Amino acid sequence: MQSETRKKLLKLFAEANGEFISGQKISDQLGCSRTAVWKHIEDLRQEGFEVEAVRRLGYRLKSAPDKVTGNEIQLGLKTKRLGWNVYYEESVPSTQKIAHKLAHDGAEEGTLVIAEEQTAGRGRLDRSWHSPKGTGIWMSLILRPAIPPQQAPQLTLLAAVAVSQGIQEVTGLVPDIKWPNDILLNGKKAVGILTELQADPDQVHAVIVGIGINVNQTREHFPSELASTATSLALEAGKPVNRAQLVQMILSKFETLYDQYLQHGFSPIKLLWEGYAVTIGKEVVARTLSGTVSGVALGITDTGTLKLRTKDGDIHYIYSADIEIKK
Amino acid sequence: MLKIQEIRELIRLVNESNIVEFVYEHDGSKIKMKKAGAHVAIEPAAPQTIAKEAAPQQTTPVVQAEPQAAVVEKKEEPKQEPTPVQADNLHKITSPMVGTFYAAPSPDAEPYVKVGDKVKKDTVVCIVEAMKLFNEIEAEVEGEIVEVLVKNGQLVEYGQPLFLVKTE
Repeated sequence: MQSETRKKLLKLFAEANGEFISGQKISDQLGCSRTAVWKHIEDLRQEGFEVEAVRRLGYRLKSAPDKVTGNEIQLGLKTKRLGWNVYYEESVPSTQKIAHKLAHDGAEEGTLVIAEEQTAGRGRLDRSWHSPKGTGIWMSLILRPAIPPQQAPQLTLLAAVAVSQGIQEVTGLVPDIKWPNDILLNGKKAVGILTELQADPDQVHAVIVGIGINVNQTREHFPSELASTATSLALEAGKPVNRAQLVQMILSKFETLYDQYLQHGFSPIKLLWEGYAVTIGKEVVARTLSGTVSGVALGITDTGTLKLRTKDGDIHYIYSADIEIKK
Repeated sequence: MLKIQEIRELIRLVNESNIVEFVYEHDGSKIKMKKAGAHVAIEPAAPQTIAKEAAPQQTTPVVQAEPQAAVVEKKEEPKQEPTPVQADNLHKITSPMVGTFYAAPSPDAEPYVKVGDKVKKDTVVCIVEAMKLFNEIEAEVEGEIVEVLVKNGQLVEYGQPLFLVKTE
């Protein structure tokens, strides 16, 4: 976790926007001696930051390492509550498992668990999720919304919109959302979202939103069985993407949407979701454990359920299924 | 507007099928049926209740005709419903939301619990999933699982009983 002093120092550097800040100013803002400032700067350098020091001018941040520790995420972070409590580890079995434990132990809303690598990343029904080191974003966000549990599934659609907006803002790519929250680029999967709930029958304790994004993988990173179905943002955009910047943007979009949702309910989110939806109006197959339904996806209801019309004209409401879009 | 006979026929067909919800629209009137668990409460304040007209059903179909909203409802307790004497120490674990019931963490894994298993308050008994939100349901009571009321992969309603637990 980040110390308050470290957070303040990162904030100063972010505000300076690459310009010099005098040692005296830093020492005043941080409330510590010039020697202590020097010590904090040394710590940052140890962690991979390039900081230039010039007599009479002060310190200037030249570059941040391509990592996703609390340092990089909080350097320029524009949110009020999401992402200010970062739990980072280089390698973890699954960020989702750690987030579950932290949430259970009372971690505050907005706590973010993030890692450079997951050795046992998991998706729906414990399907494994390929998450090699330093190439992607593997994170879990803890929320504590005051909503009844039956409304919580709507947050998965909200998460898909937040991630799509973040990707669009940072890379210029316009993602498609496949119901409920798969994010596709040119028909290939680049993002997986897995949301889990800690709740009593009548009260949500925590919602844990697990987000996995393929960011800078090259074709060689994908095992052959994934080559035709998976992609990364870098492959689609044709250039590498700064992961920390993308995390910041997603957190920022997420917070805005989440505040709207808490204040006005699902309807504003529904409109935005529909803007990215690729499923609507298409022939789809919905596969569930209890059977398969084929038909035209008509849209989503005011609660986010998928509405489907079969060939015979019957209407089905789909609460959970694997959706395949027919070509 | 459909005749009562026709509505009855529709209820029978929908009930026998895998359809969960059924909507029929014609000339401005609309019939909407939704299968629900036997314990789901149905808005009692509907203008007309013609429950007597309904053929016996295993589930609880709801028929709403618009604009003259009518509700056809038939409640039937599950066959294995315990006698009132036994019910005193039987706790129902109910679903907190609409979704798919998963008895096990993955298709190949053992179920979380089976009949005869002892559970504690924080024992995970199943997962209910909707729109990729996974809700691990805890027993909330201490006792023994005496019955599993739903099948793996089944769609469950809000408030639908999932397990019967003999409390200690």
